[in-house]
Formats: sequence, C-alpha cells, structure tokens
Amino acid sequence: MALVPLTIALPLVIGALLYLLPREDKVLSRAIGAIAAAATFAMLIAGRDAQWSVRWLARPFTAAFHFGATPVGFWIALLLALCTACAIATTRVARTRDFVALLLLLEGTMLGLFLARDLLVFALFWDLMLLPVFFGLLSWGEHPATAWRYFIYNFAGGLTLLLATAAFGVIYGSTDVIGRAGAPLVGSWAPWIFAGFAFAFLVKTPIWPLHTWMPPTYSGLPPPMVAVVSAVQSKAGLYGLLAIALPLLPNYVHQYAVPLMVLGAISLIYGAVVALVQNDAKRVVAYSSLSHLGLIVIAIASLNPLAIKGALVYIIAHGLFSAALFMVLGYVEEREETRSLLRLGGLGWKNPRLAGALCIAALAALGLPGLAGFVGELVILIGVYQAGYTWPVVVALIAIIIASAYMIRLYQDVMNGPEVEDLPVRTDLTWVEGLAVSPLLFALVALGVDPAPLLRL
Amino acid sequence: MTLPFVHADWAAIVPVAIVAATGLVVLIADFFAGREGNRYVSIVFGLLGIMIAGYFAARQFGHNYDAFFGGFMVGGFATVFQEIILIAAAGSIILYATVGAPQRVAGMSAIMLWSACGAMLMAGAANLMMIFLGLELLSLGLYALCAAVDRKTARESALKYLILSSTATGFLIFGFALLFGATGSIRLADLVTPTLAVSPYFWIGAGMFLIGIVFKLSLVPFHTWTPDVFEGAPLPVTAFMSVATKAGTLAVFARFIYAALPPGTAEGLLLPVWIVAGISMIVGNVGMLAQENLKRLLGYSGVAQVGYILAALAGGTPLGLRYALYYLVAYAFMNLGAFAVAAAISGDGEEGAQIASYRGLARRRPWLAAAMTVFLLALAGLPPTAGFLGKILILSSSVSSGFLWLGALLIIGTAISLYAYAKVIRLMYAHDEGEAREFRPFVPLAWTSAAICAFFVIAMTFYPLTPSNVLPLVR
Repeated sequence: MALVPLTIALPLVIGALLYLLPREDKVLSRAIGAIAAAATFAMLIAGRDAQWSVRWLARPFTAAFHFGATPVGFWIALLLALCTACAIATTRVARTRDFVALLLLLEGTMLGLFLARDLLVFALFWDLMLLPVFFGLLSWGEHPATAWRYFIYNFAGGLTLLLATAAFGVIYGSTDVIGRAGAPLVGSWAPWIFAGFAFAFLVKTPIWPLHTWMPPTYSGLPPPMVAVVSAVQSKAGLYGLLAIALPLLPNYVHQYAVPLMVLGAISLIYGAVVALVQNDAKRVVAYSSLSHLGLIVIAIASLNPLAIKGALVYIIAHGLFSAALFMVLGYVEEREETRSLLRLGGLGWKNPRLAGALCIAALAALGLPGLAGFVGELVILIGVYQAGYTWPVVVALIAIIIASAYMIRLYQDVMNGPEVEDLPVRTDLTWVEGLAVSPLLFALVALGVDPAPLLRL
Repeated sequence: MTLPFVHADWAAIVPVAIVAATGLVVLIADFFAGREGNRYVSIVFGLLGIMIAGYFAARQFGHNYDAFFGGFMVGGFATVFQEIILIAAAGSIILYATVGAPQRVAGMSAIMLWSACGAMLMAGAANLMMIFLGLELLSLGLYALCAAVDRKTARESALKYLILSSTATGFLIFGFALLFGATGSIRLADLVTPTLAVSPYFWIGAGMFLIGIVFKLSLVPFHTWTPDVFEGAPLPVTAFMSVATKAGTLAVFARFIYAALPPGTAEGLLLPVWIVAGISMIVGNVGMLAQENLKRLLGYSGVAQVGYILAALAGGTPLGLRYALYYLVAYAFMNLGAFAVAAAISGDGEEGAQIASYRGLARRRPWLAAAMTVFLLALAGLPPTAGFLGKILILSSSVSSGFLWLGALLIIGTAISLYAYAKVIRLMYAHDEGEAREFRPFVPLAWTSAAICAFFVIAMTFYPLTPSNVLPLVR
C-alpha cells in the first residue's frame, strides 16, 4: 500500500505547489499549510502498520526505497506532523508564503527520515532535511554566519554518516535494515562504522562539545521553524541511536556506554548552568534543550529497557514542551519586540491566557508531576539506576533542580514583575494562537496523566 | 603497402564519421544562412548530427567492434564514453545560442564537433598511435576554440593551453616510444606480457605515459593551467573541455589499467596516481573557496571531481569502472547544466561567468535559480541528486577495495567544497539585492538544456544507470 510514501510526498508536493500562490498571500498559504500538515497526521495514524518498498540498488549492496513506521519512528513522526501544523497556523513572518512552503518541505524531508526503513534512504533524508533549515536561516535568520555554522557542522555529520552507511552496506550486504531483526554487525570495521554513526548523531542531537551550532541557530530562526527544529529535528540523532545504533551495533553502544554517558552528563549540567545565566529567552530554552537531550543520551547509553522506554516518553515530551515554549515566546516577542529577559516583564497581569500557556509549557519542562516531562524523567532515572549507574542519576537530579530555577526565572521575568511602562497594552493570546498551542499543551497533560501508549512499546 | 579498409572498419567508426561529417554540414549550411550568419542553423544541424551519431553509437553497445587491426575497439565501455562525449558536445554547442558572435558560431561548432571526434577516437583507442591521433585531434581543435573570441584572456588561455598541453603530449609520446621499445608493438594488449614487469623501459615508459594522462586530467601537481584556461576560453568551450577532455582521457586511462598492465605491476605503478587523486580532492576543493569566477570555480571543482572518479577506479574492480562511469555521466550533466544556466543569463560579455551576477537570481528567474541549485547541490554531493548516489557508490567501492584513505579524503574534500558551492546558492537567494541587475529574457535552447540536465541529475538518483556488462568488453 502506497499510503506511507504518499504521507511523505504530501507535504513535499504541497510545499512546492505553494510557490504558485501570489507572493504576498498570507492567510491562504497558512491555511493550506496547516491543513496539509494536519492531513499528514491523519495519514500517519491510518498508515501505522503499512509498509512500502521499491528496489533501488542491487550492487554494491541491496538498497530499497523502503518506508514504514517503526514503533519509535511512528511517534516522532506524529509529533512532527502535530508541531508543523501548530507552527504553520500562527506563522507571522515576512514572505509568509515562502516560509510556509519551506516548513512543509522541512516536514516532508523529516517524515522521510523517520519513516525510512533503509539506511541509505535515511542518510539521503538526513542531508535533505538540512537544506530547508539552511535556507530558513539564510532568508529569515539574524546573521548569515549562523546558517553556515549550522550547515557545516551538520553536513560534516552527514558525511560521516554517508561513509559509515557505505561501509555498512558493503560489509552487511544490504542497507534495508531499520526495524528488522537481524544479526548485529561485528568485525574489525564495526567500531569505525559505529564511530561514523555516533558522530553524526551526536552533532545533530547535539551533545557537548559538538553543540556550538545550536544556540545561535535556535535563537536566529523564526519561532515557527525553531519550534519544529528543536522539537523534532534534534530527535533525528536520538532516533538514529535508538533505531540504528542499538539494534545493529549493540556491542559498541555497550562498550562506549560510559563515554557516552559522560558526554550526556556534561551536556546535562553545562546546558542547565548556561541556561540559568542567559538573558535571551530563546537561548534559555535552547540551552535547556541541550540539557534535556543529554539526559536522553544517558538513558539510551544505559541500555536498560526501562530507561529506553523512558527515553521515548521524554523524546515526545521534550518535543511537545520545547515546541510550545518556542511558540509562546515567539508570541511574546511579536508583542514586545524583544526577547531580552532584562527588558521583558509583567506581561502576565493583563494577558492571563498567554501566561497560562507559558506556565504549562515551563512546568512541563521543569518536570512537574502530572505532565509528560515528569514521566519521562522518572522512568529514565529508575531505568538508569536499575542498570547500575548511580552517578548519572545524581547528576541528573542536580540538573533537574537547576531546571526548576531557570524555567521559573524565565516565567517570572516574562510574565511577573513590574510591567514594562514604555509599552502600550498588548493583546492577549488570540483564538488562532490558542488553537495552535493548545494541542501541544493538551498532549503534555494527556501523556502526563496516562503515558501508557508510549510505555507499551 | 596499402592498408585494406574493410567493411568492419566502417561499422566501428560510423558514429565518429557521422560527427565529422556533421561538422562539414554545419559549415555548408552556414553558407545559406546569410552574411551575418544564423546561430540557430548551426546549432540545430549540430544537434541533429550528434543525435544520429548517438543513435548509431548506442546500437553498437554490447557487440564487439574492432577496426584498423585492433587499433580501435568500441561496443563496450568505450561506447559509454563516446556517448558521454556526444552529450558534452551537444550540451556545449547549445550554449552558442547566447554567447559568441553569430558569424563565428558555425565555424566554432564545426571545430567543436571535430574535437569531439578526437575524444571519441581516444575512447575507443586500443593502440598507442590511435591514442595519440585522438588526443591531438581533440587538442588542436581546442587550441583554436579557446582563442576564438576577441578577448585578451582568451588568447592567453589558448597560448597557455597550447604550450602546457604540448609539454604533456611530449611526455606521452616519449612514454609511447619507450613502451614500443619494450614490446616492439604499438598494441596496448601486447603490454600484458609477464616479462615486461622487470623491464626498465616499461616502467619508465609507463611512468611518462601516466604523467601525460595526469596532466590531461588536470590532477595535482599539473592542475594549475586548468583555472586559467577555463577562465579565458569562451563559455561553450569551457563546458566542452570540462567534460569531453576528461571523458576521453579517462577512457584511455581505464583501458590502460584494466587491459594493458603486465601482471603484478598494477599496485606499484598506479599507487602514485591514487595518491595524486587523493591530493587533488583536497587541493581542488580548497582552490574553489576563493574564486569569484564561475568558470574558475568549476575548473577547480573539476580537479577534485576527477579525483573522485579515480577513487572509484582505484580497486581495479569491474564494479569500480561502472561507478566511475556513473559518476562521469552524472558529472557531465551537472557541469553542463551549470554552464547552461550561466549561458542563459549571459550575453556576449559572458556575465554569467561572474559569480557576483547571480545575486538575487531567485527573485528574477526562479526556475533558473532552482536548476542551478540542483547542479550545485549535485556537485557538492547532496541529495536528491546523482552526485549523492555517485559518492555513495564511490565510497563503497573504495571501502571494498581497501582504499579507505581515498574515501576519507573524499569526505574531507566534500566538506570543504560545500562552502564554495553553497556560497553561490546563498547569493542567488539573497534578499539584499545590491544594484538590481537586468537578466536577459527567456532563451529557449539554454533553458531547455538546463531543464534536461536538471531532470537527469535528479532522475539518476532513483535509477542508477550503471551499464552492466562493460568490463568484458574493455579488451
């Protein structure tokens, strides 16, 4: 059944067709974009168990355009469709039509990545998904150098992924391996192949010390796109670890578990501490991402089944709350024309709905029980402890305390405190904005109360 | 002594003969085109002849044709190379639709067709004389073509090419003489004699032969002429040189390493070539970074791309030759496409050769900008283009043949090159248009050429055209 490739093609085709609309059109392109993204959401659910495959290469190794959702990929793809629909609905940037088209292309390329069952197709979409963000940074970013840094770092990762994929294919004979129970790869080449994969995945996540492209990228991108990038594109590396490194190269994940955990732990603490002292609201969230994703890397490296389940919950939860945070902060920035925590303040007194949205997202980020972030953190910590690693748990608990500090500081500085006097009264969350951000917040609450669908995998 | 010229010989050289005759037809047709000349008459006749030749060449594929006492063999991989050369000629002649004085187009097209004949002879050459004949026919035409525009840089380009290329030919000829001295035969197949492996004449002769080849392929350290010559030559000539010269020379090189080496000599003799190829990947890509002229940029890019192609051949495996051919076809399309876009925004001043003139192209000519993006992404090896799949194939070949270091250099070189290609893309999509430049209106031929190239660059990703049975027919 061709439902799966259609799901990938839909945003790509609609995105390309959007360029036929008049350049100044805003409302129609937003509406078409949001509907297309929502349609992919429905198609993903309908095509959950569908697979589709067409032969690509016979030599030097067999490869196929093989698409179909793995259990983990399915949830991330759903997250992607949801975030894209929400982000497009409230896009208010210059050249809206082009921006919406670019977001749809980004969605399509990332859907291809998360639904790929073939390593070579995975590598293809890996490079492809960099392009929309690169163009986004060039056209809407604050500084062109950011675009270069993003592209060079991630493309370097893409190249090692390519080399590792080629070597893997030659030795394994096939790259049609994702989500298929096969023998793990062994031999003298295997460590190098693992190194190639790991470098690409850790750059993309990112993990300290490969993270330096991330803060400027996140603060430079317009809010709708950074919501999608931070929520979903950063998960490509983690998905790669879960769906490729774990099943195919488990020995090496095991062998390098401690170095991976150390890197994860450094990211965890470093991100949290830096987030505490940032004055740019978007950078606070960017560094908090670094911190949260470090925890997920620790979870995966522990190889404990429970921790890995927790990792999936936290992947989804982090996607939801970081998308919500970036979107709400985008709304704030549109109203106040600044995102400096030193200048902002008092917005919450007259805009309760805006404050509420930011509050829920921030509480999810700091791990309040009842919201999805808490479930993920708790399950990961139990799992890592079960696996016999005590120190990462201690480090993580410290980071979680710091997380409360920086998230509360973020909320305080934006919503509470003295009102900014030189600014007129701002409108509260409009109903479109509310409609756009509420699915994310609702999902955070729902998965926090009942995470069973994610834990059952 | 009279040489018999039999029917079998004709059958083998039909495509070459058609291309040569087309050159004459173009010249005659130009008589009827009026005093000022009509560029479209020459282009259309040239393209028709190339298509007919391409058809006959394609019919030869899979059969063994051999002419002139085994001196010229086609039907196998040589046919693939010939098709690539024909594509290059077609893609270059089309560019005369926008550049070049109208009264000169017929003459230049004719010379280009005869040059293509030389390259096609090289592709099928199976003895030393034929290699030399083809090479000289190709080069003589190019010297004239390089100078065929009233520009100081063009004359400089032609002179530089003449002198340096002659030097390389000198090496080649000297090598041929030594090889002939070692074997007493001009047939490449006679080199496969075990006793030759210890003959100093063979080693010195083959070494000089390889130096000549490396020069013609413009690999490090003999690459410095490429950017200068490319910059000075007219746009269509640069496009032709960038593909056809490489294709012809690679065909000779491939036949040499696959069918003409004494057993046991390949490793020692060819290692320097692989090292040179690896260095070229780095030097070519670094050289691109500072360029402000598209022709120079693509000249340096070509240095690196030939390095990639040689990396595919490094193992000496049948699959390696297929991947080299795949990449060469892909390279032909991406390079010719990039030149077509450059021509589409050029007038006689060749504005399209200046990278600065691409600023803001995406707003004025979105389709051209999109096509150019595809070509540049392909050159950089990004998906969804044939460059991506080509790199995967080359990497897998270098992994399986034990030349991992070449694969690693390819990765590093690609990472460097990305900046140079993306810089042009960035300029096209820049929103801070400096002074608004007028782009010339729609030119059907150049636009069609760009569109066809873009189609193939993308389509080849999904359907890799690797001719399956080329190696048995190398000999």
